[in-house]
Amino acid sequence: MIEIKNLHKSYKMGSNSLHVLKGINFSVEEGELVAIMGSSGSGKSTLLNILGMLDGADSGEYNLDNVPIKDLNETKAAQYRNKFLGFVFQSFNLINYKNAMENVALPLYYQKVNRKERQEKSLKYLDQVGLKEWATHLPSELSGGQKQRVAIARAMAAEPKVLLADEPTGALDSKTSYEVMDLIQKINDEGNTILVVTHEPDIAEMCKRIVHLKDGVIVEDKKVEQVRAEQYV
Amino acid sequence: MFDRDIWQEIFNTIKKNKLRTFLTGFSVGWAIFILVMLLASVNGMQNGFTGQFNDDATNSIFIRPGTTSKAYAGFEAGRRIQLTNEDFEYVRQSFPEDIEYISGRYFTNTTARYKSETGSYPVQAVHPEFQIIEKTIITDGRYFNEVDFTNKAKVAIIGRKVAEDLFKNENPIGKFAELNGLTFRIIGIFIDEGDDNAERRIYAPLSTYQRIYGNTNNINQIALTYNPTYDLSKALEFSGRLEDLMKRRQKVSPEDQSGINVWNYAQAFDDISSFTTVLKVIGIVVGSLILIAGIVGIGNIMVFTIKERTKEFGVRKALGARPRQIVNLVLLESTFITTLSGFIGLLFAWLILSLIGPSIETPAFSNPSVRISTVITATIILVIAGVLAGLLPAIKAANVKPIVALSDK
Repeated sequence: MIEIKNLHKSYKMGSNSLHVLKGINFSVEEGELVAIMGSSGSGKSTLLNILGMLDGADSGEYNLDNVPIKDLNETKAAQYRNKFLGFVFQSFNLINYKNAMENVALPLYYQKVNRKERQEKSLKYLDQVGLKEWATHLPSELSGGQKQRVAIARAMAAEPKVLLADEPTGALDSKTSYEVMDLIQKINDEGNTILVVTHEPDIAEMCKRIVHLKDGVIVEDKKVEQVRAEQYV
Repeated sequence: MFDRDIWQEIFNTIKKNKLRTFLTGFSVGWAIFILVMLLASVNGMQNGFTGQFNDDATNSIFIRPGTTSKAYAGFEAGRRIQLTNEDFEYVRQSFPEDIEYISGRYFTNTTARYKSETGSYPVQAVHPEFQIIEKTIITDGRYFNEVDFTNKAKVAIIGRKVAEDLFKNENPIGKFAELNGLTFRIIGIFIDEGDDNAERRIYAPLSTYQRIYGNTNNINQIALTYNPTYDLSKALEFSGRLEDLMKRRQKVSPEDQSGINVWNYAQAFDDISSFTTVLKVIGIVVGSLILIAGIVGIGNIMVFTIKERTKEFGVRKALGARPRQIVNLVLLESTFITTLSGFIGLLFAWLILSLIGPSIETPAFSNPSVRISTVITATIILVIAGVLAGLLPAIKAANVKPIVALSDK
């Protein structure tokens, strides 16, 4: 599903250049649930941004579902993001003047799905995350966990190839974190490919594979026995 | 563009930022208000001027002889030019196509007496057609006609004031009054709106007066109206031809304006309309400058809005929004605010004008109003203004990098 070869990325910080990713080789099969771990500054977020086409690599290859991702202009990148990827952010990033259903429907809007179908689909996904009754509520009326579940529903609504979650539990308490992880695990059980960036070991343990990043290189890549989050909920 | 979701978003942002939207809209609404008021004022002045001239037929031309100021064709300067019946006939027969009505004018004064009442009044001895040229309104009796003129009948038409002075409560029609010792029959009474002095005048047939005053055939002035189908340029061209002809006939230098003066109402109209055109241009320029300030204000606020919504645009882009879609969203919002508030300004101006406009009736200023063309122009300007105001911020918004927008955790 994802293939990365010798990926390099550096940032210019004034006159200095900060080499963040120093040759990453990495591939993800369909249906995997991968945790990308690493301390702050290890390059894990940068990697996720490149995977999410929010940022471009300096050199190296990136294939997503056998489509080479390179030299994208804004419009093309937007199309690919819309078609291939779903995003879950640490700070939820819901649009605060749209209710839960409208937020979930947004990627469908950019897919040019008609209004009626959008509503049906977004209600269906809200139902999957257990928030159907909250469909008409604004984000400000939801708890943190609920917001993240809406965000996950939004990411799933576009039926992406890969779900990218950047510290999805970073802003949540541990109980809510496990609820969110439970949801992510269930989505993965249905065969969806998911990448989770996290620095919390217990969250990483709930994935099927852990990739450790340190100073811009992969230092460890191991498959793990998945800890089900269900038991903590 | 007519997407329900886009409109929903626009209404949402507006609802969320009521004060900001109001302040933004106010600058443009105010600018349009001023622009429309300025144009309406110019319009009012134009109406005022036109109204002043409406008293006489607006297609009239006066040929006035004077004293030459230049030596020409063997004559010295300072020669008095005297028009005669021959000149009158000559003009009439030279331009049968161009002339609608024509009349000679002979000015004199008279002491009028009826019973024990006397008074001194100006007399204008004219041709019957002068009634139409001067737009004289007869309230009682009639104007004199061709038969009276040919017979050199001693008949007179008197102004309302003259009638009041001499006849008091009697009906003057058919009565005989003494003008310069000769008995004239009063056959009509006329009024002149807005000019009391004109109502102290007496009209009589030119032929009669020429006979009375020493069998002369002198005329003081020729008044005529040209073919009413003529537009301004054709009218000016005709009065030019008339002037050339009269100057050649009277051997006056073509450059000598005091020897023979051909005065065309169209000319005066032309002067006034170029004056009001200048005023209008000034109005448009000043209004536009104010409008530009309003546009800059909107642009300014839009830039601020974009900054505030950077994160939202980042999210949208991450979810697959193309740059174009972001541009459309911002452009539509600014156009919507501009157009709506502009219309409110327009509506206010229109309301004020239609309320107080018709009651303003002074010589130089009457019924200021806006034409539908002004409204249409203003609307087009507004839409363009909205697009202009939103364009820069929209491009800025579209260039928001999702990574940058999302990084401020």
